[in-house]
Amino acid sequence: MAHILVVEDDEQFRGMLVQMLTQDSHRVTIAHDGDEGVRLSQQLRPDLIITDIIMPHKDGIELIMELSNLSVDIPIIAMSGGRRAISAEFNLESATLIGVKSTLAKPFTRNDLRQAIRQALA
Amino acid sequence: MKHIADSYFRILEQVVFADDSELVELNLSEAFDLGRSLMEEMTPPDEVIQIHHDAIVRLAAMYPDLPFAKVAERITKPFMEMSMAYGMAFREQMERRYQAMIISRLEQSRLEAVGTLAAGIAHDFNNILGSIVGFAELAGDELEVGSTGQGHIDQVLIAGFRARDIVNRLLTFARQSPTNLIEVDVVSQVKETLSLLSVSCKPDMEIHFKSDLDNALILANPGQLQQVVMNLCINAADAMNHKGHLFVSLEFCNLASREHETCTNAVCLTVKDSGHGIPPDVQDRMFLPFFTTKAPNKGSGLGLSVVHGIVTQLGGNITVQSRYETDNPGTEFKIFLPLADKFTLTLNRDAQ
Repeated sequence: MAHILVVEDDEQFRGMLVQMLTQDSHRVTIAHDGDEGVRLSQQLRPDLIITDIIMPHKDGIELIMELSNLSVDIPIIAMSGGRRAISAEFNLESATLIGVKSTLAKPFTRNDLRQAIRQALA
Repeated sequence: MKHIADSYFRILEQVVFADDSELVELNLSEAFDLGRSLMEEMTPPDEVIQIHHDAIVRLAAMYPDLPFAKVAERITKPFMEMSMAYGMAFREQMERRYQAMIISRLEQSRLEAVGTLAAGIAHDFNNILGSIVGFAELAGDELEVGSTGQGHIDQVLIAGFRARDIVNRLLTFARQSPTNLIEVDVVSQVKETLSLLSVSCKPDMEIHFKSDLDNALILANPGQLQQVVMNLCINAADAMNHKGHLFVSLEFCNLASREHETCTNAVCLTVKDSGHGIPPDVQDRMFLPFFTTKAPNKGSGLGLSVVHGIVTQLGGNITVQSRYETDNPGTEFKIFLPLADKFTLTLNRDAQ
């Protein structure tokens, strides 16, 4: 199965995601924010990155753009729960515009996750 | 107006010719009442003066020998009373309007504050819901398919997604920046929504639709109008216990006459029910998010706040008239939405 980097600042959500992914026999590495995500992506070159959009320090959109500038060509899935006057859809649309492979609006089901991974790795 | 002119003339006549002071006082108080009712009928000030002038001319014609110099004071008195009452009523009305304006502004800022606050937690909320839904699924996978435990987990999942829908509706309410606005035809959108509603509506309830317009384009996000119509009609149906007639209509109107400065041509959507009406204390709070009079699990308390949010975002406004605890109760919501531009409307000739 794949080596997946999960970039997510919410500890509980991250824990849940890691559970789901490891149960599906993926190898999982975690990053707590965008900065760590960029660093680990370069170092470990995972097969797939699943990143949150709203995070402290460096957010998901910045992470995606920075990786693209660094020519790190790894498929990315963006997740969002929206914020303030911006819906999850808007965040995810922005992410699609800058090249993510698939998107997930929080909360999502295990099937949604599996489908997004299949789509991203296809 | 002729009736008022006649009444005033009789008052003036009596005051001029009265022998006793009591009769004078009685007529002066009638002049006072007349002044108030003139204000209530929104008579302009120059017409009030005209009533007095006409009465004097009539008096002079009827009594050519009347020594005007001697009765000058008596002639002035009823006019003084009438104009004083008129002025007082005018002032009271101004104060009432000013109060109403202040209250509506307060209400507006309160709604905005609640919306901003609620939407501010949407992101955290969805993260939490993500954990609940995700862990529930993980737990469910440990259980046998079709087991009672699995059934309970399914309920947790359903509840989680219901909560997500509420968060999304809150975001709709809070979203003030007009993103993705496109030209939407109000007439076809309303028709579509009503046909959706009529499918799910109980057999004892009938929805009547009438439009003076063939089409009316407004700038909106697709689906927003549908939400407005849906929410208003669902509330109306609930108020009528799903029995009776619900009237929905569209007509051309002018927002300028409603002291709206930014636009002129508008479309007015009316949703009128014969339900139980809305008590005044509920009318004060009904647009607040999470305020509901429905039973738990029957309503989220977001319907009208979403309507309010959308209509405000589209530059329109809402009026509500409700008759509560009367012989003929019912509620009428009117939504005024500015048209995309003045050439985007054609009158429906069949409806003429």
